[in-house]
Amino acid sequence: MTVKEVLQLFRDYVLLFFIAYAFTADVYWAGSGVTLELVHSALAIHDSDHSASSRQLISEFHSPYFKNIGEISDLREASPLLDSGKATIVIDIPPKFEESIRRSKQTGVQMQVDATNSVLGLLASTYSTQIVTTYGLRESLSANGISPSRTGTLPAIVDDHRIWFNPNQTDSWFMSISELLNVITVLAILLPAAAMVREKEKGTVEQLLVSPLSPIEIMLPKVIAMTAVILFGTALCMFLILGPVFHTPFRGSLILFFVITTLYIYTTAGIGLFAASLSKNLAQVGMLTILMLAPMLFLSGAWTPPEALPTWMRNAMYFSPMHYYIDLSFGILLKGAGWRLLWPSIWPMVSLGAAVFGFGAWRFRRQFA
Amino acid sequence: MKLERVTAIIVKESQEIVRDRLFFSLAFLVPTVLMMLFGFGLSFDVEHIPFVLVDRDNSSLSREYSHKFISSRYFDLQGYAKNENELDSLLITNRIRAVIVIPEHFETDLLAGRPAHLQTLIDGTFPFRARTTIGYVTAINAAATMEVLATFLSQRQGIPLQDAARSLQPVRLDVRYLYNQSLKSIWSLAPKLLMVILMISPPFLTALGIVRERERGSIYNIYSSTVTRGEFVVGKLLPYVGISILNGLVLWILATRLYGTPFKGSMLFFLFALTLYVVCTAGIGLVVSVFVHTQTAAMIATVIITVIPAVLYSGVLIPIASLTRGSQVIAHLLPAMYFTNIVLGCFLKGVGFEALRNDILILAGYACSLFTAGYLFFNKRPSE
Repeated sequence: MTVKEVLQLFRDYVLLFFIAYAFTADVYWAGSGVTLELVHSALAIHDSDHSASSRQLISEFHSPYFKNIGEISDLREASPLLDSGKATIVIDIPPKFEESIRRSKQTGVQMQVDATNSVLGLLASTYSTQIVTTYGLRESLSANGISPSRTGTLPAIVDDHRIWFNPNQTDSWFMSISELLNVITVLAILLPAAAMVREKEKGTVEQLLVSPLSPIEIMLPKVIAMTAVILFGTALCMFLILGPVFHTPFRGSLILFFVITTLYIYTTAGIGLFAASLSKNLAQVGMLTILMLAPMLFLSGAWTPPEALPTWMRNAMYFSPMHYYIDLSFGILLKGAGWRLLWPSIWPMVSLGAAVFGFGAWRFRRQFA
Repeated sequence: MKLERVTAIIVKESQEIVRDRLFFSLAFLVPTVLMMLFGFGLSFDVEHIPFVLVDRDNSSLSREYSHKFISSRYFDLQGYAKNENELDSLLITNRIRAVIVIPEHFETDLLAGRPAHLQTLIDGTFPFRARTTIGYVTAINAAATMEVLATFLSQRQGIPLQDAARSLQPVRLDVRYLYNQSLKSIWSLAPKLLMVILMISPPFLTALGIVRERERGSIYNIYSSTVTRGEFVVGKLLPYVGISILNGLVLWILATRLYGTPFKGSMLFFLFALTLYVVCTAGIGLVVSVFVHTQTAAMIATVIITVIPAVLYSGVLIPIASLTRGSQVIAHLLPAMYFTNIVLGCFLKGVGFEALRNDILILAGYACSLFTAGYLFFNKRPSE
């Protein structure tokens, strides 16, 4: 029966193509394209002073965070630039800027920030404040007769930070692994569900029912076949893309990772089975799985940490197998943890999954009773 | 193109949709549920970072300094430790995300005018969170350093503390946040959610609509009838466009009433842009359906073409400017980015056609080319 399932799958070329694409190109694009940082933020300057000091300050706003798109001669030009999105930040340096600094009078630099993206707005303002403060400190120290080279004898709290597991903060490691886990989840739910409902829709399920196969024997091959395909795709992805292209380390035991993945696929297949038992055709099962997939994907803890969610959502997250799977995967791949350390995440995932799978299987049998 | 034939297709399709009760309810339920789920659950505010403090100095200054972290709403003290080496397993199992180590001689160094080296260990698995954490630490350090410096200077030069503090900061940065004064992340998220949800559901609905006929075989009715390609494509598309526009309106109500996002633009303009966008996204589903032969493939193809780009390349989670060259190209090829500009413009900026003219034109062009592609590739005399 499993052979039949695999054969059926392989005859659908378009589907095969998309599965292959998902495991390779998609993960590649996700890993190589994306970084969650303030980069090349378009900055326009209105400089009323045109002094050496003001030019010095302007030069401090450089890449990678900022991109100076030029000066405007009139502050009224600022609004259209910001409205149309050509500029994200406009800085206004007042006249007599240099003079005020020389005279030790505090002067204010105005900055308008496009806050339609609140995260970027906050980052932009934080970095800018840092730049301005550092600049001001340097100027005032030299005005006080303390040259910058002698700041070794000044009290300052210097932060030596060490970043664990991903020392160069290579975004591609995080993004590519995340994307792979997303693809695994999506396919683990959709493929078995689709296989199941397609038979219902075509009517071939009646053929299966009158055969000597029990409902379990009908259901299990689909899950096994899809699991095998997904595992193969995962291996393909890891050894073709993650390793060679992104140099993602695989610090833990790969066998453990594949075992966990297999367990995970079985458990999430249960969700797909449940959706399949509720639906009469593929359109319904598609929508149902989106309904269940979307929360799983977004609230799995990769994008929003558990500590930042509202309490009721955090409790809901503890019921999602994907949350544990993400912790486990990153734990094994990036942190090199072994199963003993990860046990607190393994058993909830497996028990949740077994429960879901059992429920899905029961519902599946019941609809034919 | 005859109106009666198009109407006939529309009526038939609509009846089929309504008769499938589960599908019909899901078509309206899914966007609403997604909107509510993500609005409440998706947050980029990195707060309550669990951390452990290792204080090797135990002086009044180090305690004062620690207090800055403990009382900060961004950090959540999980406990103290004597030694940072015993914390490996805590970091690995995600119990804590950071360790802050205050060195010995912290107080004596600073009071004598020497720098003190703080050590922070941060879990770098999620770069975004790690960076934000470092940002917070840097900000707290900067503020603390200012205080220490001011005290130092005032003692050394015999000036009052306040004057010393002021002289250290000759330039003040006054920041004004435009369009979103209180930096509410939900104000910037809700409009973008509208864009994402309308990118996910219409293609799904439409793609399944056509492929379903093909798989069932009722497509042969169409092939052998007098309906032309154009009429069929338009007739198939319109009911799903209608449903999606309705969904868009419901989402608009949720964004403004439930999440309190302001809407400063013109409703008429927004409706026009919404219709255009929905035609684009449903059109994507149309083109997919013309090429695939099974519903499974249609579903998976639509998910991969719409969901993942909608999230990664549209500016929802990651700003376009932060993407690499290659990804920026992809972002420019998809309608999501342009509608994000429109949606943000309408909700938060209050701008209209003049500022968003380019985005509207591109969306219109997109809709036309999708429709043309669907029309050209739909064959009434397939070779199969």
